Amino acid sequence: MKILVCMKQVPQKDAPLKLNEAGTWIREEVSYEVNEPDAYALEEALRQKEKHTGEVVVITSGPARSQQVLREALAKGADRAIHLEDDAFVGLDAFNTAKAFAAAIKDEQFDLIFTGLQSDDYGFAQTGVILAELLGWAHATIIMQIEKTEAGIRVKRELEAGYFQYVDMPTPAVLTIQSGINKLRYATLIGIKNAKNKPMRKVAMAEVASAIGPNLQKIERLYVPQKSKQTQLLEGSPGEIAKKLVDKLRNELRAI
Amino acid sequence: MIFRKPVPNIDRPQMEADVVIVGGGPAGMACALRLAQLIDEWNARHPYDTPITKENIYLLEKAREAGAHCLSGALLDPRAMDELLPNWKDEAPIDAAVHKEAVHFLTSGSSFQLPMVPPPLQDHGNYVISLNRFVKWMAQKVEDAGITIFTGFAGTEVLYAEGEDGKPRVSGVRTDDKGVDKHMQPKGNFEPGYDLQAKVTILAEGVRGSLTKQLTAKFNLNKDANPQTYGTGVKELWEVPAGRVEPGEVIYCMGYPLTSNEYGGAWIYGSKPVAGSDTNLVSIGYVTDLGYADPRTDPQKVLQSFKQHSFVRRLLTGGKIVRYGAKALTYGGWWAVPPVAGDGWMLIGESAGLLNSARLKGIHLGIKSGMLAAESAFEAMKQAHQASSSTYRSATIGEYQNRLEASWIKDELWRQRNFHQGFEHGLWAGMIHVGLQDLTGGRGLWERYPAKAGHEKMQPLASMPEDGGTRAAIIGAAKGDGSLTFDKLTDVYYSGTKHDDDQPAHLVIHDTDICNTRCTTEFGNPCERFCPASVYEMVEDASAPNGKRISLNAANCVHCKTCDIADPYQIITWVPPEGGGGPNYEGM
Repeated sequence: MKILVCMKQVPQKDAPLKLNEAGTWIREEVSYEVNEPDAYALEEALRQKEKHTGEVVVITSGPARSQQVLREALAKGADRAIHLEDDAFVGLDAFNTAKAFAAAIKDEQFDLIFTGLQSDDYGFAQTGVILAELLGWAHATIIMQIEKTEAGIRVKRELEAGYFQYVDMPTPAVLTIQSGINKLRYATLIGIKNAKNKPMRKVAMAEVASAIGPNLQKIERLYVPQKSKQTQLLEGSPGEIAKKLVDKLRNELRAI
Repeated sequence: MIFRKPVPNIDRPQMEADVVIVGGGPAGMACALRLAQLIDEWNARHPYDTPITKENIYLLEKAREAGAHCLSGALLDPRAMDELLPNWKDEAPIDAAVHKEAVHFLTSGSSFQLPMVPPPLQDHGNYVISLNRFVKWMAQKVEDAGITIFTGFAGTEVLYAEGEDGKPRVSGVRTDDKGVDKHMQPKGNFEPGYDLQAKVTILAEGVRGSLTKQLTAKFNLNKDANPQTYGTGVKELWEVPAGRVEPGEVIYCMGYPLTSNEYGGAWIYGSKPVAGSDTNLVSIGYVTDLGYADPRTDPQKVLQSFKQHSFVRRLLTGGKIVRYGAKALTYGGWWAVPPVAGDGWMLIGESAGLLNSARLKGIHLGIKSGMLAAESAFEAMKQAHQASSSTYRSATIGEYQNRLEASWIKDELWRQRNFHQGFEHGLWAGMIHVGLQDLTGGRGLWERYPAKAGHEKMQPLASMPEDGGTRAAIIGAAKGDGSLTFDKLTDVYYSGTKHDDDQPAHLVIHDTDICNTRCTTEFGNPCERFCPASVYEMVEDASAPNGKRISLNAANCVHCKTCDIADPYQIITWVPPEGGGGPNYEGM
């Protein structure tokens, strides 16, 4: 099986964020890490390869710093990497990112493309699905399990409230992977050392520029939510307080 | 409680190495970079020979990302960088050049400025930097030079083999086991640590390194040295309205909240403007000597009380905290430096205690010592290369000792060799000693002032006034008002520290009975106070003899090493947690 894993570098989850001057995104001075669902997508790809042989290729777009996620992936066992390297990729919306990816892999023949379910920063959950549309492939989201079958693959999707759905689908296909589908492996010293000699293809903006157009989505303004806290003390006998509390929860907050 | 140790009886992957450097701070990075330079120069001069390879030189760094555990004020004396990379200033992240300095003495109600800045604290020509960003930049240089940095890997054990003379020699290091749960059982993704078999191992772990501690015990390295003495620096990085502390302005403070019986002092450095706002970064910190008498002394509280002094409050009001961190530092000086090289090993930077306590600077000494170690390592490498030998001559490694003693590191530390010991009997006696030392080229009254390990100076709780007396402002837990001052847990949040919870505790207490019985009675469990990250907690337990037992919040640890140093019974050993865990000193 030949699998492409789309990965993204995102600000660390608990990093203190500061807005940029324009108030449209955060300042660059922050620690970055691999988008968590993407790490699970990579792990799943590596496990599929170990089961069925094949190749795992990782791809990301972003400035030089984002190469780190590819290096980590190569250290864990991916075979080669594709880096769409330019600061301008950071500002692309999901539609254009998917178009840039599609253009960058047009000469490749993948059986499967994995993405994380969504990114920890924008949280669009769109890039994988749009990529499938652009390629004309089947897709399924929130994947918890993947089995190879005679005709293609059988996947387990997570639905709401503890329900799951099993779907048989053909390949090639795009799957967006849910966090927790597997247990992440650690990179080893030998893996990190060997990763240095694995191929890393750099794709410049100019190579894919003709495929992308103006962004369809843009962030007008970002702001830190104002925290407000109001305390009301309910008075009366325990019975009266309970009544008042239920009334507030039901009619004011509509929580019950 | 189950404490971390290497998983026994397992097959470990082996990896051969020429040079292994443990620790990616300024010393380790400089060592790697200098080694790469020497190899490149040699290969360029010998184009027809087989080149010497950099392929098997490795640097281990326990942080997830290079620089993430690096904490300092920081002021950089450029001397060593000028030697390492003459054009460093063109590309290194420098926040400001020092152009203004002052020393203030604080009493509880007032402050006065010293009429002149003592020569060791004159900082014109030095630079305000973020050590985190500086080291991250150095790491990039190291990688570009072709040396592999393993981030997220700690050295957990020194490996030994038989040396040329039949005695033990250091033969490498073992890295941390990954994927071990809190009961010491392997998880599904368990990865055993590697045995990195190295021809030479260079320890650059910084203050109180865990491998350095093993090595020191194995070869009794401290037998002729003064006991090392330490302080703990607690730092906050602030964004403050512009004009309060200009970029490049340096303020040192002595006195309040410490009394004249404790050694220590504060720094306030003006750093770079914050883009898009009318503020600039200010680094503020207080170093408390770990040789204090009152077991309730709390270095984090010391900083909080310092900020409440009117002199400091007016500088910070209206600003906000960005980051928090804490780190111990060595200031025993030259007489506390152990032997720095032996068969198969070298010590550089603060692992060797190379810090100038009079100038409160050590980064330049770390860098220079790393360069000197690299020169000896390269010589050994070259000899082995020319002789097609698979080992390095111990005499060549040992040359590093002579290089260090012939270098300006020794000159600089020699002049201050008795500085910190002069303060053994308090601030006022110290001032007199320092004055005498200044007149006699560093000698003072005696050629070699003795020192006492700080932890031996802690006094029983019963001998202290209940309210702390004059020490009231440095004992007990800081409450914090949430804007100027913070309680410990709030500060710890700003350290960005993070560990996998499901792993054995990495603060190894060799006898928890002592904590729950003797220590509670004699010292009142000072670990709760000296730890700047609230790792140690005495929790209610009716079955414990004194109603409380020790509990560890190991995930809070900021890797400062204070507990390993300050514990009066010396029963705590700090060992590295699973690699990648620890603080995130972004921008610190």
